[in-house]
Amino acid sequence: MIDMLEATHALMRKVGDDALIVPTLGNAGLNLFNIGERPGNFYMRNAMGSACSVGLGVAMACPGQRVIILDGDGSLLMNLGSLASEAWRKAPNLIHICWDNRVYQMTGGQPTAASGPADLAAIAEGAGFAKTARVETQAAFEQAIEEAVQGEGPWFIHALVKEERAERSPNSPKSPPRIRERFMAGVKP
Amino acid sequence: MDWPDTIIDVLKKYDVRFISYLPDAMGERLLRLAREDTDLDLLPLTREEEGVGVVSGQYLGGRRGVLLMPTSGLGNSINALASLSIPYRIPLPMIIGYRGDLGEFNGTQVMMGQALPDILRAMRIPTFYLKRADEVAVITEGFLRVAYSNESPAALLITTQLAGWKE
Repeated sequence: MIDMLEATHALMRKVGDDALIVPTLGNAGLNLFNIGERPGNFYMRNAMGSACSVGLGVAMACPGQRVIILDGDGSLLMNLGSLASEAWRKAPNLIHICWDNRVYQMTGGQPTAASGPADLAAIAEGAGFAKTARVETQAAFEQAIEEAVQGEGPWFIHALVKEERAERSPNSPKSPPRIRERFMAGVKP
Repeated sequence: MDWPDTIIDVLKKYDVRFISYLPDAMGERLLRLAREDTDLDLLPLTREEEGVGVVSGQYLGGRRGVLLMPTSGLGNSINALASLSIPYRIPLPMIIGYRGDLGEFNGTQVMMGQALPDILRAMRIPTFYLKRADEVAVITEGFLRVAYSNESPAALLITTQLAGWKE
């Protein structure tokens, strides 16, 4: 099983400086802050389920920049329709990563439907993603990212991660307007 | 000029490039024109809440979009508006086909339609109504000005007085 922090670290080494990253609330954003804090990260502090839609919008507006959605299984299950919209739009600069720990971790570890028979990579494929990967090891994750950043997307990468709670840094950005302004300074529409 | 042409003209004047939508009969009057217009790019959604995220993302990426949806769609969008567009101060122009009001033929639309103004008021979302053909240009333009100056959602309701009701 993949260690999310280590995988986030590898991701940041492989994506370019001008990549735009939209993490969902909880572990995805906390780990991204701890490992790869930078202006091109748009931290979602709420609106569970919306990170993937925001990422799609950014990808449409900035076709010259790589856009990476860092989703979670709980968040994605709230907005499965977005997979159909993303696949239909076919934004070549979009990479949708879903960290799947099979629980709602921030609220006490209740199981998500991904702990049962739901297979998020298969759902993405069914929604129309031509490029999907389901990875369970660090090596396989890095290989999938490598492939995704070299070619055209949209990609859906389903990463099975350990059930570990990310550390909440006291310095993580709190002000939504400041997160927004900082992010917008680095986009090239 | 018919009201849909006027709305499309004003959107283009304000550099709106993307229309993300869930279709309804009133919205289709705009979509029909937008499909033929190379300056406009349409994104079909599966649910209106998605549109709140997508239009926010387009703005974050430096481009303007609007969300076009029926009245029921606002009900599907509330939490995303409250916890994304509003706190992050993101302009989010919503053009809403107003159902459940004057002349409504489907009783199940009326509850949402009658609650809509109160919901928008409770969320402090500036709301404007298109009722007369000779006011469409100024009200549409004023609605966009408020969305961008206030950096917030704003709602433009297309009423049956303007568009006619469904038989």
